[in-house]
Amino acid sequence: MNELHFAHRIRQLLNHGARLDGPVAERLRAAREQALERRRVPAAAGPALAGNVAGRLEFAGWSLRVIVPLAALSVAFVATYNWEQKQRAKEVEELDALVLTGDLPIDAYLDRGFEAWLKKRASL
Amino acid sequence: MAEKARLLVAAAAFALLAAGPGLAAPPKTGPAWAELSADHQQILDPLKDSWEQITPERRRNWIGVAKRYPKMTPVEQKRVQMRMKRWAALTPEQRKQARENYRRISKVPPDKRGDLKQQWSEYQALPPQERQGAAPPKKKPAPAK
Repeated sequence: MNELHFAHRIRQLLNHGARLDGPVAERLRAAREQALERRRVPAAAGPALAGNVAGRLEFAGWSLRVIVPLAALSVAFVATYNWEQKQRAKEVEELDALVLTGDLPIDAYLDRGFEAWLKKRASL
Repeated sequence: MAEKARLLVAAAAFALLAAGPGLAAPPKTGPAWAELSADHQQILDPLKDSWEQITPERRRNWIGVAKRYPKMTPVEQKRVQMRMKRWAALTPEQRKQARENYRRISKVPPDKRGDLKQQWSEYQALPPQERQGAAPPKKKPAPAK
């Protein structure tokens, strides 16, 4: 019972201490505001820096959000185009080698009638 | 962060510049005759005199043929040597036509087309009217240069 009473007494004392008014509360409030004020400076610097970077994300008036995909697209386009050109060149090279080495002379392939004649014969 | 952004801008600009004219256009000059390897010079010897007149694209094509040359049979190699000059002298349209015809002829099943050389002799033996009659009604091929 004595113990319970003791606990009750401590609670009372703590509650009493927590009840801040007058100069103490005032000083605490001032300190808090001061702390907040100091905190505000670096916090404000954050968005300012971000804004700065966003401002730099431009090139000749174009946003990087436009330029980067555009550049990637053009690189991809050029790569595809080059690859196709290379494939076509390879195909031509292969056909040239075949015409140059084939059983028939070049004239046979230059003749417009031979191929049709051959096909007609083959279908008979 | 700002540094990264600047790098990105530079990369994008560089990519645009490099991709635009640099990669899209084929190199303007092909290898000169003197730049060819000794082997290729020997293989492409029939083209030596006309090499300067051959376009860069065609030059690369010929180098490709020269690379295939060692794998060809002796008969094929001889044919290449004999036909090279004539093939190079044709117009691009004529070569295109010949390739197209080659493709079409090779599509005819071998058992049906028979021996091509023999067929060609037979065709050549035909009277001109009959040969022309076989040709599709289109302009005649321009005479080779």
